[in-house]
Amino acid sequence: MPKYLCMQRNLPSADGQKGHKPSPAQMQEMYAQFGAWQAKFKKNLVDMGGKLGQGRLVTTQPAADGPLVEVKELVGGYMIVSAASLDEAIEVARECPGLVGPGSGVEVIEIHTP
Amino acid sequence: MSTPRLVEHFFRHEYGRLVSMLSRRVGVQNLEAVEDAVQSALTTALESWTVAGLPDNPSAWLFRVAHNDLVGGLRQRTHRRRILDENGAEHVGDPEDGPGPLLAGEVQDDLLRMLFVCCDDAIPPESQLVLALKTLCGFDVREIALRLFSSEANVYKRLARARNRLREVPPRIDDLTPEQYSSRVPAVHQILYLLFTEGYLSSHAETAIRQELSDDAIRLASVLAEHQVGKVPETSALLALMHLHAARITARQDASGGLILLSEQDRALWDQQKIQVGLSWLADSARGDVYSRYHAEAGIAAEHCLAPSFEETRWDRVVECYSLLEQIAPSALHKLNRAVAVAEWQGPAAGLAVLEGLEPPSWLAGSYQWAAVLADLHRRCGHDDAARRYRDVAVKSAPTQAVRELLQRRLRVGA
Repeated sequence: MPKYLCMQRNLPSADGQKGHKPSPAQMQEMYAQFGAWQAKFKKNLVDMGGKLGQGRLVTTQPAADGPLVEVKELVGGYMIVSAASLDEAIEVARECPGLVGPGSGVEVIEIHTP
Repeated sequence: MSTPRLVEHFFRHEYGRLVSMLSRRVGVQNLEAVEDAVQSALTTALESWTVAGLPDNPSAWLFRVAHNDLVGGLRQRTHRRRILDENGAEHVGDPEDGPGPLLAGEVQDDLLRMLFVCCDDAIPPESQLVLALKTLCGFDVREIALRLFSSEANVYKRLARARNRLREVPPRIDDLTPEQYSSRVPAVHQILYLLFTEGYLSSHAETAIRQELSDDAIRLASVLAEHQVGKVPETSALLALMHLHAARITARQDASGGLILLSEQDRALWDQQKIQVGLSWLADSARGDVYSRYHAEAGIAAEHCLAPSFEETRWDRVVECYSLLEQIAPSALHKLNRAVAVAEWQGPAAGLAVLEGLEPPSWLAGSYQWAAVLADLHRRCGHDDAARRYRDVAVKSAPTQAVRELLQRRLRVGA
């Protein structure tokens, strides 16, 4: 089955406001929702990935012109799902709690393997 | 990978536990830094546990993460360094070999201490309550506003007042003295009582929300009762009244959230086990010669719990308890309740006689309780005009739809 890279993107939300920090009670709710989501898509979740941390760009080129945007600024974290189609992969990502909402979206990209 | 279930309210209770433990270690002046560290540890836990599964000891895991984050953050702030240095290595040591954070007894001590910290007499009671809800119960500002029927801005204001006061507490002497512990016991009782009644008496539509507050009050009062400083008859009486009320909480609402009068409640729904626990606390509260308002209120609740039916309630005993309550804590509301009990015991005219000549304070005169009782007593005496007049006032000032419906049903005149 094809695999898809799901990248969490931090987005400016429509009203310019960041979502509220979740309260402990909401976090518990999210934990339970996440568990239910994982159970539902067990066969799709190949690699739960994680948040992106520190990194460094390695290249032979001289320093690029202009500011270089680090991937970490654009992408909060990633995971890899397997699915029959892009649409199915999107469905898995869309239902992941906390991923698609104010200030956050997910980019789902097919990974071509030879 | 599947995520194992966590016990109910795990995150919320861990929040209270961690804030209590950490603020003891770094001082309540740093309460905000402590709360930030705890919030961020819970967030990290949420991200990590859902992917990697639960650690062997989630509580210890959280403590370690929050402690590291807090100590790291405080170290970076140079003006804090002094405080940490002064407080010695205990506060900046490796959390792995730090003070055994997970001995159950010590956790309880920390929770209790935080409760006493909240009851600082320089903090107004309404701010104490908000502070306890935030730090010990783990509710955020929105959730507190929802529970107290207040605005978020108002909750912020009350919280800020409490925090400003705590920032002034001099470092290193913030460990409460035995005298401070004893002198704050009445304030602790009051805050637990408020916490409980906010849950129990609240006209909040969701039973779960009300039950949460009541359960938290019982949880904290139980901690208090186990400690030397809290082992007083008033604590036992408080626990008695909490259990005797909580036993009946589910019978107070119908399936659609409508309120049910005591006389209409299905007594088979009352939680007999809670009633037994309440009665044993009541027996325990009778040691010594203290008779507090909590004793009186627990006594009233006990009479209701023990009565086989509404009609067979020992109303004379209920009236006696209300009289004692009025003597201890004079309030027009207690007189109003006594009038209701007298009406059941000796008839509606006798009930009205209790209220004769009473000028209710404005907060009560404008409330639905006052108007509703007068409407009901007048209705039962056949004074239809007065009954209608008071009923209209009561219905108009009902705080929620559930209360409004109850009043309209109960106070129908000439049916």
